[in-house]
Amino acid sequence: MNAKSISNPGLEKGFLKFQLPHRFKKIGTALLLVSFLAMFLIAFTFNDAIYRGLAKYGMLLGLLIISISKEKIEDERIGALRMQSYSFAFVIGVLYAFAIPLLDFGVDSIFNAGNAEMKGIGDFMILWFLLIVQVFYFEYLKRMCNEK
Amino acid sequence: MKNKLKIERAILNLTQEDLSKKIGVSRQTINSIEKNRYVPSTVLALKLAQIFNKSVNDIFELEEGD
Repeated sequence: MNAKSISNPGLEKGFLKFQLPHRFKKIGTALLLVSFLAMFLIAFTFNDAIYRGLAKYGMLLGLLIISISKEKIEDERIGALRMQSYSFAFVIGVLYAFAIPLLDFGVDSIFNAGNAEMKGIGDFMILWFLLIVQVFYFEYLKRMCNEK
Repeated sequence: MKNKLKIERAILNLTQEDLSKKIGVSRQTINSIEKNRYVPSTVLALKLAQIFNKSVNDIFELEEGD
């Protein structure tokens, strides 16, 4: 990171050096949809853990590709909205990772008094939630900003 | 922060689209700046000032509370 990018983090054009071209957004969306459908098909047919795992990875990869794909015109305002969506997703993601095990434990305590145990939340669920929140919040911010 | 972007644009008879192409941003960004929803970076403010051949202070003005 050079002094130029430090002086105005997130607002420089192409602030994420590893951003993908805009056309990858469609590729990511297609991968997400295909993996989502595949997961349903696998769950209701042969229910193989390996294929289910692959479908999950496909969904995460699709969301990641959407998340890091550039907009048609990726300018500093879009960069700022993008940064805002990543910050929001991070905070909401951490709260989610805290809240769900506690909620689970609470419900378990009511219905399984004495035998309730604290279970962690899987890495897939955290990543999935983070990416979903980022992608949708970013779209929401763009729409809100353009509509006003 | 207030700005006179819309007025300056009208003086040069430029549309939002024209101006956005000149400085390499989207039309929505110009619209957001004009409606005070987005405060541009120093680089973008200088680019805008250069287009209108004015200083940044002539286009952008601080408001009370800024």
